[in-house]
This record gives sequence, C-alpha cells and structure tokens, in this order.
Amino acid sequence: MESAKKQAGIINRNFFLHIHANRVHVHSMKPTYSFGLGIILGCLFLIMVLTGLILMVYYTPSVETAYHSVKDIVNVVPGGRIIRNMHRWASQGMIIVVFLHMLRVFFTGSYLGNRSLNWVIGVVLLIITLLSNFSGYLLPWDQLAYWAVTIGSNIAASSRELTDLLGITNVFDPGGFFKKLLIGGESVGQAALSRFFTLHVIFLPLSMLVLMGIHFWRIRKDGGLSRPMKYADDKGNTNKWYAWPVLMWTELGLLLLVVIVVLFIALLADAPLLEQANPAFPENPAKSPWYFLGIQEMVSYSAFAGGLLIPVLYLVFLFSIPYRDREDQHVGEWFSGKSGLKVIGRSAVFAFLLVALQLFVMIRWGWLRNWFPDISQWFIMLINPATITGGLFILVAEVIRRRRRSSRLAALNLFTSSFVALVIFTVVGIWFRGPNWEFFWSVKDWPAI
Amino acid sequence: MKRRSFLGRMALGLASLAGAIAAVSYFRQFFPRLAGEKRRIPLGDPRRFPVDTFSYLEEHKLFVYRDHEGVKAVSAICTHLGCILEKSMDGFECPCHGSCYSDKGEVLSGPAPRNLTWYSVDRAADGKIVINPGRSVSPDDKFLTS
Repeated sequence: MESAKKQAGIINRNFFLHIHANRVHVHSMKPTYSFGLGIILGCLFLIMVLTGLILMVYYTPSVETAYHSVKDIVNVVPGGRIIRNMHRWASQGMIIVVFLHMLRVFFTGSYLGNRSLNWVIGVVLLIITLLSNFSGYLLPWDQLAYWAVTIGSNIAASSRELTDLLGITNVFDPGGFFKKLLIGGESVGQAALSRFFTLHVIFLPLSMLVLMGIHFWRIRKDGGLSRPMKYADDKGNTNKWYAWPVLMWTELGLLLLVVIVVLFIALLADAPLLEQANPAFPENPAKSPWYFLGIQEMVSYSAFAGGLLIPVLYLVFLFSIPYRDREDQHVGEWFSGKSGLKVIGRSAVFAFLLVALQLFVMIRWGWLRNWFPDISQWFIMLINPATITGGLFILVAEVIRRRRRSSRLAALNLFTSSFVALVIFTVVGIWFRGPNWEFFWSVKDWPAI
Repeated sequence: MKRRSFLGRMALGLASLAGAIAAVSYFRQFFPRLAGEKRRIPLGDPRRFPVDTFSYLEEHKLFVYRDHEGVKAVSAICTHLGCILEKSMDGFECPCHGSCYSDKGEVLSGPAPRNLTWYSVDRAADGKIVINPGRSVSPDDKFLTS
C-alpha cells in the first residue's frame, strides 16, 4: 500500500495528472451519477484529434481536388478508410454524448450552487461541437456536403426574411453579414471550403481545447463533481478517496472502452461519400446531417423562425438556466425528487401531444398558405408549429413558476418539453421526410425520381 | 487630478483606442471585397431554346423561357434557402423544403418568403442578346424576338 503522501504527490507533481484533484469524493465515483459522460467526451475528442491529423495529411482543401483526395483516403491510403470511419463515427458519438452529458448535468441540478459558470462554458462547448461537425461536413465536397452547407449558409442569412418584411435589408443586413463571414461570397465555392477548413482544423479545435481546459479546471475549483446536500459539509478526507490510482484506472478503462466501440463501428460501417458536388442540381431530398434535421424541419415552415429565432431562443434559455433557477437545495439530486419527476413526465407528454397534433394538422391539411393563398409572409413567419410550440412552452413554464413558486420546477418543465420537441422534429426530419420535403411513412414509399 | 494619474489614464485610453482600431481592421480582413457576380450573361441565338418551354441554364442557375413572341429569364434559385428549383407541370418546385411557385414565379405554397426574380433580357451595345441579373423586371416583360 502506497503511503498517503506519495499518492497525493503523484497527482500534484505531474503536469498532466494535475488537472485532477488529488482526492475525489466517494459520491463522484458512483457510475450511475455521472455515467462518465464527460470523460467519454474527452476520449472521443482525443480520437478526433489523432484521426484528424492523419486525414489532414492526405486531404487537400481545394474544390478541384478535395473530393478525389477523400476518395484516395478511402481507397488508396492503407488504413485510410478505417481512420476516416473512426473520425466520422467518433464525431457523431460526440454529438450524442454531448447531449446526454447536458441531460445528466441538468437533471442532477449540477448547474446550481457555484457551478453556473461551468454550465455556461458547457453550453459554449456544445455549440462548438455542433459547429465542428458541421464544418467538417463540407470538406469531402460531395453532393451531401455541398447542399447541406448551401442551406446552412442561407439559414445564416435568414434574418433577411425579417429585414425584407421591414424593408430595411438595403441599409441593415445582418443576414448578409453572417453569410459573407461564413462562406466568403454569394454562393458556396472555394472561399467557403477554405474558410470551413480553417475553422475545422484550427479555430474550432483550438477553442474547444482551451474551453475544455477551463471546463475541467472549474470542476476542481467548484469542489469536484456536484453532490447532494447531505455531503455538502464533507471537508478534508471525509468520504474521499485518493484519485491515484482509482480514478486513473477508471479513466483508462473508459478510454479503452470508447476506442473499442469506435473501432468496432468503424470496421462495420463506412462513412458515406456521395458523388462529387454539383452546384447545378441539388440532391432530392437535400438533407443536412441528422443532428440538424430538427432545425431543417423547422426551417421548412419559415427560414427565419425555424433557423434563427427558435434556435437562438433555445440557446438563450440554456445559457440563462443557472441564473434564473437558484434553488440550490436541489443540487446533486436526480430529477429533484418525486415532484420533479412528475413535472418531467407531464412536460414530456404535453410536448409530445402538442407537436404531434400540429404536425398532423400540417401534413393532413397543409398550413396557412394552403388555406389563404395571399397571406402575408408575416403570418408564415410568426405562426407555425415551431413558433407556436416555443411560445406555448414559455407560457406554461411561466405559469408553473408562478403557481408552484419554484424556478427549478419551471426549469425542469421547459428543459424537458423543449428537448422532447427537438427530438420529435429531428426524428420527423430523419425518417419521415422524403423528396420535396413531403411526408412519407417510410423510405420505401418515396417516389422514384 | 494629479499629473501622474492624468498621464496614466491618457495612456490607457490611447492604448484601448489603438487596440480597438487594430481589432476592427483585423476583423475587417475576414470580409472580402466581392466583385459583383452580376455580370451580363450572353444568351446566344434565342432560337436554340425550344418554344413554349423553360430551359435550365446550368451554369447561371436560371431558366430561359421562349415563346413565339420573345424570351424571358427567371432565377432558378429558391428564395427560401437557395436550392435549385425543378420545373414542375405548372410551375417550379423546390426539392429541399417543398416551396412551390407558379409559372410566373409567384409563391403558391411552402416557406418561400419572396417571388422568384425575373431578369431583364436586352440587346447589348454590340448587338448581342444578354441577360442582366443586376436588373429585375416584371414576369410579363419579354424581349421581343419576332
């Protein structure tokens, strides 16, 4: 048995291990509390960086050669196919795990107490993860990539829908500003590819690395992972283990597990690569990556409302959670007990019914423009399933906050219902939309084009 | 105010001003000065287009329509999110989010915020027929060929 002093010293003296505290609370080691999701994300990031370096060596970011260099990586470079598959599937894994991690942190009330700043950094990391994925999506320069980014860049410009209605686009055009910043021109071309490449290999990973550092450092500063109130007074060695070697073994185990899973999936499934980008003809349907199909479903109602207004409101909500809800007594407790669980259940059912009902009406009978052909774009923009859903959610959460006098219950309600709605929109976008974005029960029913 | 603190503040103020100017010019570099993509497009001999039909000009992302009286040109880019429209039986349809337009480019259904833009077709100074994407016209305007 190593001496206590030596155990503490190993962590303290090593630059890389020093990101850990030398003691870790027993509760933080419970697998069913954190599920190790943060560590898993770190492991996936490591895989992304290592496989990304190899891909970068063989890839050329030019519209003439990009597609062929990716083909070469897949077909010529020894092991290239596996490396590309790993990169692709680990990135998708990051998207899934980053959302799971957010769910875990939210439902255990881990943004409470002094952890509000770390929640905010986490939300920024979520955004960077999504942007990294999206910027990587363009690089193969195939049909999928080209049209997804064309749509994406026009979503960035979609505030024009509003400024056009106000008639001020000529003098005030934030849409054009962001679009130009993103793709460096009027349409997706070499400038866009260069910009996305730079974002993807330098700017975003570097930002992510720095923020990850702060994210981990804050955990230490905030006294380790969050834990229930009953452990709040544990000072010194009470209920604590030395991080060396227990935590190190746990982390190594998770790393091995993650690598095995990613490697296994990479061996079984190939990352898609369609034909080379053709700016003259879009794919039909032209679908974004699956994690953006919820947004794409919403932009099919209105570009501004679905692509900008609702996503921005959602982010504002996420950022504001720790500042609106200050009921610190719920920290570290899954679902805030029975009353919380009840609210979560009801919110999920309410959100499901509300969104399903609107989609049913829309798919069965169409929407405003089918009923009133000459209707103003204002109504198209402001009254659609995305805005109605968002508006009602905010209203209900406000009612709960006043009636129940609990900001935590209101937060649980709004977080659950908006997440359920996001999932439904995404599922509809992935499996139930076909050519011309029409509704189909299954891909088998798609008409031949 | 003491001279020392006055000089200190002045220095700080000037340094922040210099920093702000540097930041603005730095970020300015990310916005290229674009030469307009609105160059005139030579149409060629109008008779190469079939009569009473919309023909898609791939390179310029527009449809040219010709009938016995003349020709006109309409943008093939959906006003919603920039996908290329397909010609349907009685208008245009967007494959990305299902916006539908009439033959005159008016929005019939879907999320599209604006009607399609019709471009002016003219005879240039050198006598050639050109499409001018910088000038929009009404859907009823035609360049008369007969």
